[in-house]
Amino acid sequence: MPMQATILKIAMPLLMDTILTEYADQAFETARLRRNRVHTTPDLVSAEMLVELEASGDAMRFVDGEGRVAWKATPRLCDHLKDLERDAQDDLEDV
Amino acid sequence: MPGRELTTIPFSTAAMRASLLRLEGEWETVQASRGRDAIYGYLTAVFELVSWWAQEGKAITRAGRALHLRGYHSDREPEPFAAIILCTADRDKVDDRTRSKWSRALRYAAEYKDLDERSRDFIQRKGGINECAARFARLGGRQRSLF
Repeated sequence: MPMQATILKIAMPLLMDTILTEYADQAFETARLRRNRVHTTPDLVSAEMLVELEASGDAMRFVDGEGRVAWKATPRLCDHLKDLERDAQDDLEDV
Repeated sequence: MPGRELTTIPFSTAAMRASLLRLEGEWETVQASRGRDAIYGYLTAVFELVSWWAQEGKAITRAGRALHLRGYHSDREPEPFAAIILCTADRDKVDDRTRSKWSRALRYAAEYKDLDERSRDFIQRKGGINECAARFARLGGRQRSLF
């Protein structure tokens, strides 16, 4: 993945909200299943995912209550997920 | 954290564009609203963006990048809050004076707000945007540089 070369190592874990943590878990599972003798870690997979989500306007960084830079889903992604949930609920009611 | 693979993530041009676009969306929401307090949503979004840039010590350079992306050129060092407002709010509706006032209010919040207090709550608790801007001005050069 081209983005991997630009991600540097530092002494800080990635802090994410619930939505992004779920996305990251999913991304790591996908990467783990597909890996072909390529060493990967949850943090690296999360970092690559966050690069993409930030560039597409679905994730953003912010300073949390403890002064750390953390990540959260943007209002746009939250709205999109709410719409999906509503659609799913409507489908269930139609059955 | 010994033994753990640790990462830092670059802030790409695409990410900068997406951030500015998000703030433009917040500005449009303000414009579409009749609520008096709608402006706080936009100012909070500006505050959040500049705050994490400042946390990484890159607020001025990134504000410069944002200005450049939007076609603004200046030899002067940009003030990050004012620069982002210039890049994302309608220039016909936000004149230099208003932009300066909002920027001063946000700098006052950046200086004195507790990390866990919402910027909207802080500004309102301190008397509103005008009062925070005035408080910042009264401090003169005594406040430290955040960027």
